[in-house]
Amino acid sequence: MRDLFKPAAIRIAMRSILRRKTRMLLIGSLVTIGTFLIVFGGTFASSAQSESKKAIVSYFTGDLELYSNRSREIPSPFSFNTPLPVVEDSRKIETWLDSNPDVESFVSIGQNYGLISTVKDGAKIDLPILFYAVDTARYQKTFDNLKVTTGQYFGSEGSPSSQGVLLSEMQKKAYRDKYGVTLEPGQKVTLLSLTGGGSVNAVPSQILGYFEPKHYSNVFNYINFMDMRTYSSLFNFTGIATGSLPATMDDAFAATSDDAIFGLADTAAFDKLDVASLAKEELTGSTQIAIKLKDSGRAEAFLKDVEAQGFQVKSIPWNKASSFFASVADILQAVIYGATFLIFLIVVFILMNTLIINILERTGEIGTLRAIGADKSFVSAIFLWESILLNLFAAVVGISLSLLLIASFGSGGVQLPDIVAQYLVGGGPLNLVISPVPFLTGVGLVLVVSFLATLYPIRVAVDISPLKAMSGV
Amino acid sequence: MSTIIELGDVKKHYMLGTTKVEALRGVSFQITKGEFTAIAGPSGSGKSTILNMVGCIDNPTSGRVIIGGDDVSALSDKRLTKYRRSTISFIFQSFNLIPVLNVYENIELPLLLEKGMNEAERKAHVMQLIEEVGLVDRMKNKPSELSGGQRQRVAIARALVTRPLVVLADEPTANLDSVTGAKILELMEDLNRRQGTTFLFSTHDHTIMDKARRVISIHDGMIAGDNVKSVGEAV
Repeated sequence: MRDLFKPAAIRIAMRSILRRKTRMLLIGSLVTIGTFLIVFGGTFASSAQSESKKAIVSYFTGDLELYSNRSREIPSPFSFNTPLPVVEDSRKIETWLDSNPDVESFVSIGQNYGLISTVKDGAKIDLPILFYAVDTARYQKTFDNLKVTTGQYFGSEGSPSSQGVLLSEMQKKAYRDKYGVTLEPGQKVTLLSLTGGGSVNAVPSQILGYFEPKHYSNVFNYINFMDMRTYSSLFNFTGIATGSLPATMDDAFAATSDDAIFGLADTAAFDKLDVASLAKEELTGSTQIAIKLKDSGRAEAFLKDVEAQGFQVKSIPWNKASSFFASVADILQAVIYGATFLIFLIVVFILMNTLIINILERTGEIGTLRAIGADKSFVSAIFLWESILLNLFAAVVGISLSLLLIASFGSGGVQLPDIVAQYLVGGGPLNLVISPVPFLTGVGLVLVVSFLATLYPIRVAVDISPLKAMSGV
Repeated sequence: MSTIIELGDVKKHYMLGTTKVEALRGVSFQITKGEFTAIAGPSGSGKSTILNMVGCIDNPTSGRVIIGGDDVSALSDKRLTKYRRSTISFIFQSFNLIPVLNVYENIELPLLLEKGMNEAERKAHVMQLIEEVGLVDRMKNKPSELSGGQRQRVAIARALVTRPLVVLADEPTANLDSVTGAKILELMEDLNRRQGTTFLFSTHDHTIMDKARRVISIHDGMIAGDNVKSVGEAV
């Protein structure tokens, strides 16, 4: 294409576009729509992607979650049917996390289900409950996603409100609609659980209040909260620290024979056992530990550090831990790019047809150019420039419209319907962040379309014999 | 005088459906530098085919076409294009101006296809030709804003701008009224006389044939006569 940059070719191309305004306007409009879709849609989608990550990390999963390496399932708020195994060395991990400079905050979560037993019209009634058992102060510090509507959040350690159950407003509605029961804040209830050993545990507790999730209501409307101490009692994670037992008793408990265990009652050590001297141990029932890092970019290096510690855990990044939520923005982007691809495909065919019509109308002109000594490359250059100039102009219009629309949303962001916003960015407006990728993609695609749409018409044009000049222009 | 065009037993056949058409059936003639020659004959006689061969826009089925000493009958498309750019020029019956370019740009166009002249030289040369064809006040106009005679003047200036060895004109006055046609012919004659440019044109108009100093008559693809007029014989 040695004649590509000949000013005469560019001049003829530009004026030929202006000569066929209506036809070119039609093609230009399609390219403008395509570019607008890719630039505005791309900006929307990439903003949604980054905001989605920010929201998931901030309110949902943290940068990553650790869970038991015995688990066959990954932790997910949607896997309540098969409770995850407990993280065995969670205390050790928590100690390590507390002193790790990369960690901004973390919270251990016990994901489980049980029953709230109460009385309705004089009869006992059991209400099912799915819940996260959490270190309440840490959860608040890490995620701060619960807005208490009635009652109160868990109080500080030792206060009357430090233990109990905080229910979602959605749960309240479900109990009322399905069971005709309304649990009031402060109401005493009994919590029931089925322990790993197969027995049913019951612990007295209370309803602390109700909350609405600030973000990801489509997840946290279905999850209720419980303090870790109540949870430990409910699932038998509270007991005697074996270290405080006399050695003989410790050995006996470790034995597998029933005779050895029941034989303890006849020993002198058992008679002398000072119950008050035994230390109480609270095991943790955490099924996962959500960790927020000071720098999300350090996640991979941090995971290597975790591996090096030899903890009995596996890890899962934020995008997997949030189930399909992280992929909503990806799907949106794929849909936008797919639609744009289709539009541009249509543009390629319409542009190709239009150029061929132009060429057939201009056989005399092309023949004349060839007759006065224009090389085939000069003719090719004219049609390539026609396509490029038209499409680039249309692309500039599309980009300008996109920028205008983006600017019109300003710092308030795009107000989306709540249901969409909850899935896309966990709720609230979507702030549009301009990145160069959609712009470069738009311009790149326009150039590719211009080139592809021109290939066949150029072939038709250069095959026109100079003899066609004899038929006039 | 040196021979600049030589046709030796040129034949041209082509197929029209399943019918073989013999457009030229062995044409031979020579043109020397500075001639002002008409190829005359009725429609379909083969005169335009001869111009196409000489103009390197069509190849003969057999025979030789020699322009400026080079046999162009078997050259590649690229070489023929170069020949058309540098050695030969056309004046068409329908003017064939590029509709989106103005008078100045149409005349300048052949110079832009070939390197060799700087912008100042090019501008001066184009302006000189515009003056010679009397279109200074129309140089910014597009072809659609010109009369037929003015368009043909632009076409003549465009044909001369590369200083070609030979200018080929295919019925240059066919689309013009008789007065304008005569003026165009006068202009061509004048340029031929002053610049020494060789003109070879096809026509079936007897008043134009009268102006030519040599008339090669074609009939059914063969030369029926070759009449060289003595000095003063041409009107």
